[in-house]
Amino acid sequence: MSRSVYVYGVVPADDASAVSAAGVEGCTVRAVAAERLGALVSDLDTGSLSAAGAVRAHWRVLDAAAERTTVVPARFGTILEDDDAVRGELLNANADRLERLLATLTGRVQLKVEGRYDEDRLMREIVDGSPAIAALRRRVEGRSQAAAYYDRIRLGEAVAAAVAERRAADADRAQAILAPLAVNVRVEDARTPDSAFNLSFLVARERVDDFGASVGALRDELGGHVDVSYVGPLPPYSFAEAELSSAGGA
Amino acid sequence: MAVATRPSGGYIERPRPSGLADVLEIILDKGIVIDAYVRVSLIGIELITIDARIVVASVDTYLRFAEAVGRLNLQEADNSEGLPDLMESVTSGGAKSKTKGALEGVKEKVFGDDDDDEEQKPKARSRSRSGSSSSRSSSSRSRSGSSNGGKS
Repeated sequence: MSRSVYVYGVVPADDASAVSAAGVEGCTVRAVAAERLGALVSDLDTGSLSAAGAVRAHWRVLDAAAERTTVVPARFGTILEDDDAVRGELLNANADRLERLLATLTGRVQLKVEGRYDEDRLMREIVDGSPAIAALRRRVEGRSQAAAYYDRIRLGEAVAAAVAERRAADADRAQAILAPLAVNVRVEDARTPDSAFNLSFLVARERVDDFGASVGALRDELGGHVDVSYVGPLPPYSFAEAELSSAGGA
Repeated sequence: MAVATRPSGGYIERPRPSGLADVLEIILDKGIVIDAYVRVSLIGIELITIDARIVVASVDTYLRFAEAVGRLNLQEADNSEGLPDLMESVTSGGAKSKTKGALEGVKEKVFGDDDDDEEQKPKARSRSRSGSSSSRSSSSRSRSGSSNGGKS
C-alpha cells in the first residue's frame, strides 16, 4: 500500500490553509504551498479508495474552498506521489499558467443553466410541425414492431434530427439572453435524452443578481416549453481546463 | 426557488445550490489535468463516466424516439387544448419514465439512494458496488476512449 497525495485544486498561497470539509477517505484536507501558489491535498492510501466516496469528497472540498477563496479545480482523480511532487510537478512547473488561470477566475463563479423538454409535448410539436414525420408515423402505426423495423428507424432518425434542430435553436436563444452577462460560456454535454441545452457560465460575483434576472427572462421567453433549472454558484470547474506538464513549459 | 421582486418589474432568480447529481459530469470531466500518467485509474470510475453519459445517436435512440412518437394518440387535425393533459397522464408510464428510470437507477447504484446523504453511506456497501462494476468496466473502456476523443 503506497501512500500518495490526492489533489483537489490550486489556490493563491495567501489562502492556502486547511479546509474543514472531510477529504477523500475521510482524511484531513491540508495545504501545500510553493511561492505564490498553494494546492489543497490530502494523504491517500491508493489501495483502498472507493470511487463513489471520493467523488463526493472532491465535490465537498472544492465547494468549501470556493466559499472563501478562488480555486482552480483539478480534475477528479488527480494523484501525485508526495508533497515534493505537488510543489515541483504541479505548482512550480506550471506557475505561470496557474497564476493566469487564477487571475481569470478571481471574483467569478460558475452558474449552470440547463433546459429540459417535456418529451410528450416535444414529440407532439414535432409530429404536428412535419408532414413527412407524420406520414412516416402513420406507416408504422398498426404494424408489428418487427415488420416496421426499418420504418421505425427512419422515423426515429427523422425525429432525432428534428429534436437536434430544436435543441440548437433553444440553445442559441439561451445563449443570446445569458451570454452578455457572463465573462465566458461553455456548452456542456447533454446529460439526458430530454435535454434542451446544458450551459455553464462564468459570472462576476457582483453580476449574479443581473444574471438571475436574465434567467427569469429566459424562462419567460421559453414559456413553459422548456423546463429551466438554474444551479450554483459552483467552483469554476468548466473554466479550469488546462493540460499541465509535470516538466513545465507549454 | 427563491424569487425576489425588482423595482423594474422583472424578478431575480436565485440559483439553487448544487447537488452531486447536478455536477457529476462536470466533476468527472473538467478541471486541470497534470500529464496523463498521474491520473490514476480508480476502481469503478470508468463505469461512472460511461453511465453518466448519454449516447446521443444510435439505433436505440432512434427506436426510442419512434416509440415516443408512436405513443402519441394523435388526432392531429384538431389538436384541442385538453388533449395534451390527457395524453400526459396516459403515457406517463411510457418511454420517458423508462429512460429516466434507467439513468437514475445507475446513479442510485453508484451513489446511494440520496445524492446528498454522503455521511451515512456504509463503506462496505460502496466497495462491493465498485467491485462488481469493475467487471463491466473493461468492456466499456473502448467506448470511454471514443467519447473522450470526441471532446476538444
